[in-house]
Amino acid sequence: MTDELVYTRVFRAPRELVWRCLTEPAELAQFWGPRGVTTPIDGIVVELRIGGRFETLMVGEQGSHRMVATFTEVVPPERLAWVETATGLRTAGTLTDLGDGGTEVVIHQRNVPEPMRSPEAGAGFRTSLDKLEQHLRRLTERTSS
Amino acid sequence: MTLTVDDERLDAMFAALADRTRRDIVTRLSRGEATVTELAEPFAMSLQAVSQHIRVLERCGLVSRGRHRQTRPCRLEPRALEAAVSWIEENRRVWTERMDRLETRLAELQGEQRG
Repeated sequence: MTDELVYTRVFRAPRELVWRCLTEPAELAQFWGPRGVTTPIDGIVVELRIGGRFETLMVGEQGSHRMVATFTEVVPPERLAWVETATGLRTAGTLTDLGDGGTEVVIHQRNVPEPMRSPEAGAGFRTSLDKLEQHLRRLTERTSS
Repeated sequence: MTLTVDDERLDAMFAALADRTRRDIVTRLSRGEATVTELAEPFAMSLQAVSQHIRVLERCGLVSRGRHRQTRPCRLEPRALEAAVSWIEENRRVWTERMDRLETRLAELQGEQRG
């Protein structure tokens, strides 16, 4: 079992443009927050250098959440990584020019604590799975409604 | 990300579970409640050190302690655990939607460039 999560997506756009979108507050404000959530531009801090701050404020109907992180790698236009202060979660984005006008983005997350990764990850969690399943179902219904 | 006030608590939970000893304590508690003394047994650690770990788990809501008995046994809070386990699902949703929106934005930007 690895403590990593990976998300991959290919965009029909040049790498420089994808990089811009991932690093400019005006662009991040357009897409960063999930459904039903806004990320106002004045709540975004991008200090594009190693050790620089990366912060976003996500505002939803039920409240807001501030993500505070520090950049650990900044290699335009190919690699961007940050570590979240509150959780120690490390996220790295790798942008690959596919040579056909497309760009592949791989998001790689590390330091995901074991119990967070999957219910099966910790054997001790199995006993509470039945209760969990019910809670999860309720939670999912609430989220999707 | 459900974006409730609980997000901060989830962050705290995340940080709490990043520690090996605290994960072991949580695993032990998933088999049933236990006193601090019982929890300390498998660890080469003072009762105080174990108590400190338990306080961290209490603060983020993963563990609660009985009040009625002198031993104040520790137990796991299933609702908090549920939030921890569902984090993965939420995280995947957040990134999928983020990529979808980035895709839309990139198409818009390129349309502007061409137009």
